[in-house]
Amino acid sequence: MTKTLLQGNQAIALAAIKAGMKFFAGYPITPASEILHELTNKKEVKVFQMEDEIASVNAIIGASLAGVKSMTATSGPGFSLMQESIGCAHMMEVPLVIVNVQRVGPSTGMPTLPAQGDILQCKYGSHGDYFPIVFYPNSVDELYKYTFTAFNAAEESLSPVILLSDGYVGHLYETIEAVDSPISERSRSPLGTSNRHFTGLTHKDSRPAASNTDVHKKLIKHFETKQKKISKKYNNYEYIENKSSDTLLISYGAMSRASYYFKEDYAIYRPIRIFPIVEDIKEIAKKYKKIVVMEMNAGQYANEVERLIHREVELISIQGGRIDLHDIGSRLKRINRKK
Amino acid sequence: MIRKLTYLSYLKEDLLPTEWCPGCGNGIVLKLVCQSMEKLNFPKKGTVVVSGIGCSGRSAGFFNLDSVHTAHGRALPVAEGIKLANEKLNVIVISGDGDLLGIGGNHLLHATRRNTDINIICIANAIYGMTGGQYSPTTEVGSKTLTTPSGNTDLPIDVQALVKAHNCFYARSTTYHLKHATQCIVGALEHKGLSFVEVKTQCITNDGRRRGFKNGYEMLMSYKDNYKINDKSSELEHDEIGIIK
Repeated sequence: MTKTLLQGNQAIALAAIKAGMKFFAGYPITPASEILHELTNKKEVKVFQMEDEIASVNAIIGASLAGVKSMTATSGPGFSLMQESIGCAHMMEVPLVIVNVQRVGPSTGMPTLPAQGDILQCKYGSHGDYFPIVFYPNSVDELYKYTFTAFNAAEESLSPVILLSDGYVGHLYETIEAVDSPISERSRSPLGTSNRHFTGLTHKDSRPAASNTDVHKKLIKHFETKQKKISKKYNNYEYIENKSSDTLLISYGAMSRASYYFKEDYAIYRPIRIFPIVEDIKEIAKKYKKIVVMEMNAGQYANEVERLIHREVELISIQGGRIDLHDIGSRLKRINRKK
Repeated sequence: MIRKLTYLSYLKEDLLPTEWCPGCGNGIVLKLVCQSMEKLNFPKKGTVVVSGIGCSGRSAGFFNLDSVHTAHGRALPVAEGIKLANEKLNVIVISGDGDLLGIGGNHLLHATRRNTDINIICIANAIYGMTGGQYSPTTEVGSKTLTTPSGNTDLPIDVQALVKAHNCFYARSTTYHLKHATQCIVGALEHKGLSFVEVKTQCITNDGRRRGFKNGYEMLMSYKDNYKINDKSSELEHDEIGIIK
């Protein structure tokens, strides 16, 4: 097997082509632009630089409905702009892959240091109830692999799947084997073959039912059940047991790379499918006295974990884009000294 | 003898009558689009109708072919995505002036620049009808609406100039000028590249009644009095209707 030196963003672009993506629309934004650059001039895929991220996500909604696997890539500011249409794609059940290479926010923030501030936006960013599937790999190799997974999960669930990255992992160079995964075929016949109506309104059997409470309840239940069922196929996480430690250190993406430095002293848990949250953490957490969540935001995932395991967790919040191992080490020690 | 209205095959007849108000012009536009499609023998398979949000946004759902009812203002990028992904499809956008020129205005600016081969039918009623009658991007100066009680002071968008700036097909007609409007829509559907047809359409419920019209018919007749056909010049005056290729 030949090895290739690839950047994280590049790996997503190359894997997307191998996963059968035929249409990409995007708007330049650091630190995600390399995905757009890499795809430009690739004969396998139609690439469009749109006027903004709203146009980009809507163009891929159209392209996906028209019959081809489609993707867009952005960072936090663009991801915020896309939120309304992501909700629309959930309502219309459109398979998409949306890559978000996170940077420091809110707003323009610190262009373009890495952050993990869009965790809850993935889950709650659009109005109304929807149940997105979100993957967050932590290496170039994994970005390559999970791009396939994201496309497969999107086709199987007929929903937009978020592939999270961050300015650190996105710009990381690593030598990888670039092993292709099996790919799911398109699951719905393209536009122009029937008389279906795709609408953001509450609907039943291709007809609007915008004032029918029962239809709405059933529709939302259908979304929830479907997403739970499909995501079960992708219970992806990494767990490094540590019998000599009573503390479980939870982190993901760029931060999880820092967590490996502490695996001698702590058990490590890294969710890869971050939403719907993998429930195995409930059992794993029982083995440890202390649970520490380490993330580059003010505790977004820590709250989700707390809610799931019904226990208080300690938070190591890293803000401002700089990951300092010495600082993390002393904060961990401080937490450990607490009874 | 009962004449079969063959253009109705383009619509899901069981959804008729539409939920639009009595006197509304949207149904007229729907009929004109169907008749134009019939005239050109448009296949139902291979044609997609896309709409945005608002009263006119409901148009797509009535068609007896694949249709997409997008988020507010996003009919154009969705339509472009469809066309760019599968060039064989006929893609028709039917939406309102608020949707296409207000919230979605930026997309029109760029769609015309790309000259994507889609047909846009703009139901231009100069009002946000569904939300109760607020002034819209095509409301005339002086017009009294819910949010301009002393008369609108903003200039209406010069849609013709906007569309012609990138040399796309532009036509203007009204719901009174049925034959003329059909010609405009047929011309647009035949056009290669982006075409934009602005159909002046009456909203009696949330616009006309505040401006002294007694019913939809009176508004319709005002189009007869206020617009004249110009099929010669390369630019339409604000009180003229015609096709500018």
